[in-house]
Amino acid sequence: MSEREERARVDGMLQEALRARLSRRSVLRGAGVGAAGLSLSSLLAACGGGGPGGEDGEGKPNPSEIFGQEPGPVVNFANWPLYLDQAKDKEGNVYYPSLKLFTKKTGIEVNYETVIQSNEEFFGKIQPQLAAGDPTGWDIIVITNGRQFNILKANGWVYELDPTRRPNFEANATPFARDPAYDPGNKVSMPWQGGFTGIWYDVNKTNGPITKLDDLANPDKVGRNSVGMLTADMPDFVMINLGIDPATSGPEEWKEAAKWLMMQRESGTVRQYYDQGYVDDMTAGNLTAGMGWSGDVVYYKLWAGYSNLEFVVPQPGEGGLLLWQDNMMVPVGAENPAGALMVMDWYYQPKIAAMVTEWVLYLSPCKGVREVILKDAEQALEDGYKGYANKLYQTAEAEVAFPSDETLNLAKFGTNITTDEQAQEWDAIFLPISQQ
Amino acid sequence: MATGTEERVSAAPARRGAYARHRRTVPYWLTAPAGLYLLVFLVLPMVILVYTSLQSGGLFGGLRFSWAWENYTDGILQYKTQFLRSIVISGIVTVACLLLAYPMTYWIAFYGQRWKSSILLLILVPFFVSFVIRTVQWRFMLGDNGLIFGPLKSLGLLPQGFRVLATPFAVVAGITYNYLPFTALPLYVALERIDKSLVEAAKDLYASKWQAFRRVVWPLSLPGVFAAFLLTFVPATGDYVNAAVLGGPGTRMIGNIIQETFLHSVNYPLAAALSVVLMVAMLILASIYARVLGTEDETLTAAI
Amino acid sequence: MGATTLTTRADETGLAPLHRPNKRWTRFILPGFTWLMIVYLASPIFVMILYSFNDVPVVPVKQTPKFWGFTLRWWRDPFGVPGMPEAVRLSLEIAPLSALVATTLGALLGLALGRYRFRGKGPMNFLIFIAIAVPEIVLGSSLLSLFITWPDVPVLGSFAPGLGFTTILLSHIGFSVAFVAVTVRARVQTLDRSLEDAAQDLFADPVTTFFKVTLPLIAPSILAGFLLAFVLSLDDFVITNFVSGASATFPIFVYGATRIGLPPHVNVIGTMLFAAGVLAAVANLAIQSWRARR
Repeated sequence: MSEREERARVDGMLQEALRARLSRRSVLRGAGVGAAGLSLSSLLAACGGGGPGGEDGEGKPNPSEIFGQEPGPVVNFANWPLYLDQAKDKEGNVYYPSLKLFTKKTGIEVNYETVIQSNEEFFGKIQPQLAAGDPTGWDIIVITNGRQFNILKANGWVYELDPTRRPNFEANATPFARDPAYDPGNKVSMPWQGGFTGIWYDVNKTNGPITKLDDLANPDKVGRNSVGMLTADMPDFVMINLGIDPATSGPEEWKEAAKWLMMQRESGTVRQYYDQGYVDDMTAGNLTAGMGWSGDVVYYKLWAGYSNLEFVVPQPGEGGLLLWQDNMMVPVGAENPAGALMVMDWYYQPKIAAMVTEWVLYLSPCKGVREVILKDAEQALEDGYKGYANKLYQTAEAEVAFPSDETLNLAKFGTNITTDEQAQEWDAIFLPISQQ
Repeated sequence: MATGTEERVSAAPARRGAYARHRRTVPYWLTAPAGLYLLVFLVLPMVILVYTSLQSGGLFGGLRFSWAWENYTDGILQYKTQFLRSIVISGIVTVACLLLAYPMTYWIAFYGQRWKSSILLLILVPFFVSFVIRTVQWRFMLGDNGLIFGPLKSLGLLPQGFRVLATPFAVVAGITYNYLPFTALPLYVALERIDKSLVEAAKDLYASKWQAFRRVVWPLSLPGVFAAFLLTFVPATGDYVNAAVLGGPGTRMIGNIIQETFLHSVNYPLAAALSVVLMVAMLILASIYARVLGTEDETLTAAI
Repeated sequence: MGATTLTTRADETGLAPLHRPNKRWTRFILPGFTWLMIVYLASPIFVMILYSFNDVPVVPVKQTPKFWGFTLRWWRDPFGVPGMPEAVRLSLEIAPLSALVATTLGALLGLALGRYRFRGKGPMNFLIFIAIAVPEIVLGSSLLSLFITWPDVPVLGSFAPGLGFTTILLSHIGFSVAFVAVTVRARVQTLDRSLEDAAQDLFADPVTTFFKVTLPLIAPSILAGFLLAFVLSLDDFVITNFVSGASATFPIFVYGATRIGLPPHVNVIGTMLFAAGVLAAVANLAIQSWRARR
């Protein structure tokens, strides 16, 4: 014990001496060279706050310095699939209108890639680079509140943002986007979109309407081998529907949720535990019901002609919804942090945010979006696009995109895992279920 | 085969004496680059895997090396079902592959005549297409209303609820398909090497066709069967893509767990421990094989 | 020169008719089975090619079981999916590089193992055997362990490559070397040594002998090894998925894309790569049989 402390102290001094002259990346490596055999983890432990991000004093990357640089010509933006407005030009090439406007306004190109299939998978891919102090290649990443978010923050693997360079955010962020519990003061993140995890079903395929969680374990209602579950969301979602608030949950409550999930598996209704690809099976008719993300289901229902899909907003007392928020962050080593913050702030203008919402149908973190959509609908009606106007009206009325207070009251955030012990216990309880 | 080298050189004229000394170092120079490379990028990684498997901690507090043997006990206890399932599935797959590949390679080797190489190529050509694409196309063909069952269902030949996708059968079928070449090639090499006149001789001695096969061909092809077994069974145990793409609940293999724990939960020590278990099992099997048949045996590797 | 002596194996079935004429229907069982197997093995390829012409109207565009009609749309614009051009390019950059290095290393090793007796030969043979038999997931997780531990090593740590191009390349070379080595080794073992002895008796020095006699004789196997290494690199998913970090090769891209639906463009690229592979293999076969006939 004392030996470790001693070494940590030496490491700390060593780093103190080095960090004045070296960039963050060379700090980690330079220290490794100096003290033979010391491990990265002991070095991190030495930095006080549990990671390089915890440094204070002059060594700490100064937000106004990082974000005050001249923005670079390209921003590399990693996001989830189907999470941004799309259109086709005359040649039939897909482009992103809201990003095109950004490029037109600022001259900065955005390389937008939909490479994030799940928080776990994407984080697993960039984690080794971040731990080694290498750039990930991305300027913006989008991570849901939860374990991976907390690890990024605790290790200082994301830059602290400069609050003076996000005027739109400061002016237009909705109350739930501002100052969330998992990131007080939006120090390192700005929400991209939020949403609900809930139950969807195919009205043509189930035996009567699905209203509550237990229906998903009832073969008489949903059939056998035909329910799609969401691996990452199901523990929290089940807890919420069992009347447990994940925020105060511990291993006992987790085991309760696991028990329900085992019961469901044994009922024979489950076809697959998905990371992301449930939409393909949902639209192909391979599933009758399952867990889904509000925007996906509503998108396919309203905009893609799958009127047979229904997203369940439970009656009070009958169940609840899992609320989550996907957050834009700037990973350490990003080449163009200034440009990144410009893009992030860009989406906090009601007009731009509305372009996204009309397409993705999730919870917008920007105020005034609904008004813009209604105005667009009126305009469409005037121009004679009746069908389009109708869809916009439906969007503006969609309970999951613009929830009422009752709906918001049904919704809760998931478990906030912040220690290794919690993480391992959680995995030991839930991995054996999805990976059975 | 290489036995002659030394003697022949020493018997050569004196002028070659210098070369002879020189030649003794030649194989080392030839081996060194690849040997070093494999040492650094095959052996060393496996050693580090073991090192990783004995760490404890996680991403919040950092990882420490601590002789954490409990990773092994925890891992094996938590995932014994998946370990067992992997062995059972790849066992079934190996048998299926052998049953499918043996008659096929037998026919090519014995009756293919001058078309042998071309027919063999026809068998291998599909594998020029990415493994992922092939597997995804199977998913597509086996879908509940997919290319195969969709039409059969609409003709009323199959009940509406019939399905193959997301069942263990789909996983077995997928792995069998993907690993068939690893079975077929060693078998082919073994069968092709059999001196066909031996079969003739057996028949001349009034052996029936079946007897000739059982007494002559089958024993001579056994090294190939063993090699095929090893090259199918061992890699198939670690497969996870087929279970992920074609399987459902109750079909996950240990490969899925390793992949999930390594890349998603980012619990390196536990994942490494599971991986080491697989690795050790593989090394034991391989050593037994090497002891019994020798690693130089051509059937194992000649045509891979 | 005496190339004919090297091709004995190709002709040996010509020795004798193996079986007496068989008039029964059973004689069709084996060939029928073999051709059925060939159709079975090729079936996903047929589907891939067919569905590269499917005129799907769905947005976002993805493969559906229904064939909507014939179109060349995807063929005219095979890279029309964001992210795919980069992935294909990365694959096509890594495959030749990895194949080149692996072939060089592997061919030398194969030559040594097939020709010489030396200390360490047994372990070397065992090593390449391991490299071939090891489950991909073990190799992938080992390599990732190496790459994430590397930066922490004193001194050497500063040479650690970040996950991406370099780590993919290093890994691909690693698993290809063994395959090239066994391909070349098999060829070297069947070589007729008398040719080289003859050359040396004619006072050619070992280097000349190697380049004038040995190399041309084993060249086909080196070429085959190269093609094999190329295809292995192009095709690999499991190991690449472990060591690629944020970069994506073509198979990684396809795997990611399939979870929201396979765009038909993937089938187009797949068909192109397939056609190229077939051409290369057929050319290799043709050259060999042409050489054999000479």
